Amino acid sequence: MIDLPAPDRQVIARRDQIAAALKAIVPDGVASDPASLRAFDRDALTAYAQLPLVCVLPATAEQVSAVLKFAQREGLRVVPRGAGTSLSGGALPLADGILLGLSRMNRILELDYDNRCVVVQPGVTNAAVTRAVQARGYYYAPDPSSQIACTIGGNVAENSGGIHCLKYGLTTHNLMGVELVLINGERLRIGGKFAGAGGLDLLGIICGSEGLLGIVTEATLRILPRPPVTRTLLIAFSGASAAGRCVAGIIAAGIIPAALEFMDRRCIDAVERFCAPGYPPDAEAILIAELDGMPAEVADQCRDLSGIAGQCGATAIRGCADEAERARVWSGRKAAFGAMGRLKPDMLCMDGTIPRAALPQMLEKISALSDHYGLICCNVFHAGDGNLHPLIVFDCMKEGELERAEAFGADILKLCVEMGGVLTGEHGVGVEKKALMGEMFSDADLNQQQRLKCAFDAASQLNPGKVFPVLHACVELGRMHVRDGRVPFGNLPRM
Amino acid sequence: MSQRIEIVSAGTKRDLGRSVGATAILDMSRIAGVVDYRPEELVFTAKAATLLSEFEAMLAARNQMAGFEPADWAPLFGAAAGKQTLAGVVAADVCGPRRVKYGGVRDHVIGCRFINGAGELIRAGGPVIKNVTGFDIPKLMCGAFGTLGVLTELTFRVLPRPQNAATLVLRDCAPHAGLAALIAAAQLPVEASGLAYCPHDTTPYSGAFIRVDGTTAAVSEKLGLLKQQFHALDFTMLDAVETDQLFRTIGDGSVIGADGDIWRLCVPPAAAAKAIARAGADVWYADWGGALLWLRMPATAQSAEKLRAIAAELGGHATLFRASAEARSTIGVFEPEPPVRAGLTKALKQAFDPHNILNPGRMFPYL
Repeated sequence: MIDLPAPDRQVIARRDQIAAALKAIVPDGVASDPASLRAFDRDALTAYAQLPLVCVLPATAEQVSAVLKFAQREGLRVVPRGAGTSLSGGALPLADGILLGLSRMNRILELDYDNRCVVVQPGVTNAAVTRAVQARGYYYAPDPSSQIACTIGGNVAENSGGIHCLKYGLTTHNLMGVELVLINGERLRIGGKFAGAGGLDLLGIICGSEGLLGIVTEATLRILPRPPVTRTLLIAFSGASAAGRCVAGIIAAGIIPAALEFMDRRCIDAVERFCAPGYPPDAEAILIAELDGMPAEVADQCRDLSGIAGQCGATAIRGCADEAERARVWSGRKAAFGAMGRLKPDMLCMDGTIPRAALPQMLEKISALSDHYGLICCNVFHAGDGNLHPLIVFDCMKEGELERAEAFGADILKLCVEMGGVLTGEHGVGVEKKALMGEMFSDADLNQQQRLKCAFDAASQLNPGKVFPVLHACVELGRMHVRDGRVPFGNLPRM
Repeated sequence: MSQRIEIVSAGTKRDLGRSVGATAILDMSRIAGVVDYRPEELVFTAKAATLLSEFEAMLAARNQMAGFEPADWAPLFGAAAGKQTLAGVVAADVCGPRRVKYGGVRDHVIGCRFINGAGELIRAGGPVIKNVTGFDIPKLMCGAFGTLGVLTELTFRVLPRPQNAATLVLRDCAPHAGLAALIAAAQLPVEASGLAYCPHDTTPYSGAFIRVDGTTAAVSEKLGLLKQQFHALDFTMLDAVETDQLFRTIGDGSVIGADGDIWRLCVPPAAAAKAIARAGADVWYADWGGALLWLRMPATAQSAEKLRAIAAELGGHATLFRASAEARSTIGVFEPEPPVRAGLTKALKQAFDPHNILNPGRMFPYL
């Protein structure tokens, strides 16, 4: 069970007054009755729900600034929200907090092909960016699976990834600039259509800050010319370790595929029953490899990659002959999360990253944990970049299953850290993984991160209760700091 | 009275940035050595003062490379080449021509350990490429010139070294045409890994340079597309060895020469021609597709005013890259920060170095 900062009853008692003040700032975008607030009570970490105090949907950066200024003056907590697709509870509301939704700020402001970038408002969806530039042969590389719904503001907050990260990077590698509104309402521009920071790399810490540092009201994104050729290979193996060896062999040979996805036996079965993508029926594991670039380059890489797969004992290697076949192969991978619904009504999607070489060992341990907890776990894996998505299926109506699933998930993430990996590759810490931060970081590491937070938001009003397991008041951190860290940090009460 | 500690390893870039006025030197050069290199994971970890040359040699032996193509600016500051360390490269954001394809230093540093100003050893990031656990502090350390912490260990993502490379050279083009060619090349799907322009009278090179790399088949294919695009212009080609020499020269800044003050102006690439026309530098060249302009211009208040005005109007920033210590302190080195941003910078300094002891004043009087 997660714990959030205790709600302030006095603030909750002032709901009507706060809603009225926000209405004066955003006349056409405030919701405060329970029926309207219901739409905002959770994100894609659906196990947790909480009605916000009030929801405000500003339409301009000026309104965002005025809302934050008001919140700071009144000492109110603010939870930012894009499309609410976070899998880590990053947009989970607070009972005494203003939910600040950016979805109305959804205009594409500028398409600048000479500088290979676009300027968008935060509520523009990820897929809309590519849609806006594809007629000119361009696309926006980060492609989280929720891309038709998730917004750029949320992508920046979570440093969203997708299936093409190994070659094209995460959001942070494709983000050139933002306009940021601070908790005191001040607006500043960081980066832009140019390279380099000109001072400290503030953009680097804004991206992936999970709404804890400021509100993004505009983003400048790098767009890329679409590669002329894309080819997709489906490769089957009789065991997961052979697939793991194949992945290592591909990387060692100097091939950087645009995508390299892994699915295990259980997952293959589930998606076959769900949408019949035609995966080899006897496969214990499959890899979907996608190569893109110039025609001869892609042909070379396809040949080399197939050779490596053969050496690693692939039982089938199939190149997709046309776009329809390619779409069918991908349909199984993309339906993996949905297919879990056929197994059990609820699912937890984990998101650790491990060194690629640890995959076979990791799968064995997950299988043992699956037996231990009596819960099924299917594995999909962004094999190219080591990002693992074990899907734990359960039924939350059954006594104790949610708790067992969460404990199973936590064990998997601890294993990721033990194997030299990290807790989250692309979904964020949010509320979901904050209790595990101590597995990866020392108290000193976490306090340093919190002091960074304090530099932007000294009263901890922006998205409090997310990311950090223990919320220290900034003044406490400051005082202890002067004492050279000799005072133990760990025993402060949870807020 | 607290100490003012200057952090030094090889010391090849001590004249880049403002003077620290150190009361003590922290010599990090013994904090060196490779910790872990896993070619199949594309990850390399080493102690901070490991020589860049050792890093590059180890990568080359496994057909890999650093994607940000670290340059060597030591000769520009009168120091010997080949001595710089990983921490120096990261702290000073030493990024070469390959930035146009693979991004800057910050895009390749995935983890670090450092000592903050309170003497605590802090770890941030991790040894995997895809990681969003906690704030991305490793990026903040890149280009921070040691003002936020003393780096002790760095983890990089590394990349396969392309089999082959070549450069299409457009000869005899005037600045406007040359810079326009770089913009056009950046819009082709050839994934150019170098886009530079040197005007007519520049030695040893002049022209617009477009580097492509990949398998041998890919290189000839990409050159084909470029030749088709620029068929009306006078062009020639450089092979892999010549390409390497050319782009080393471009990255190292040696095109500018040993004398005179140097500014580096970053602008949106499509605004480069306008910026150059207004700057009026006597020697200059462009890298990063026009996004980086190296300018030989005097380190005077007039130059500063002119370049800062260009940066403000077109978007971007100017750095006084090489000048006397006095000029660097009086004119300032980095783009002056507007008050809101300066407030954040000061708060971050306080968050990492509360006693203001680490390279104080290196970037700004308050950082």
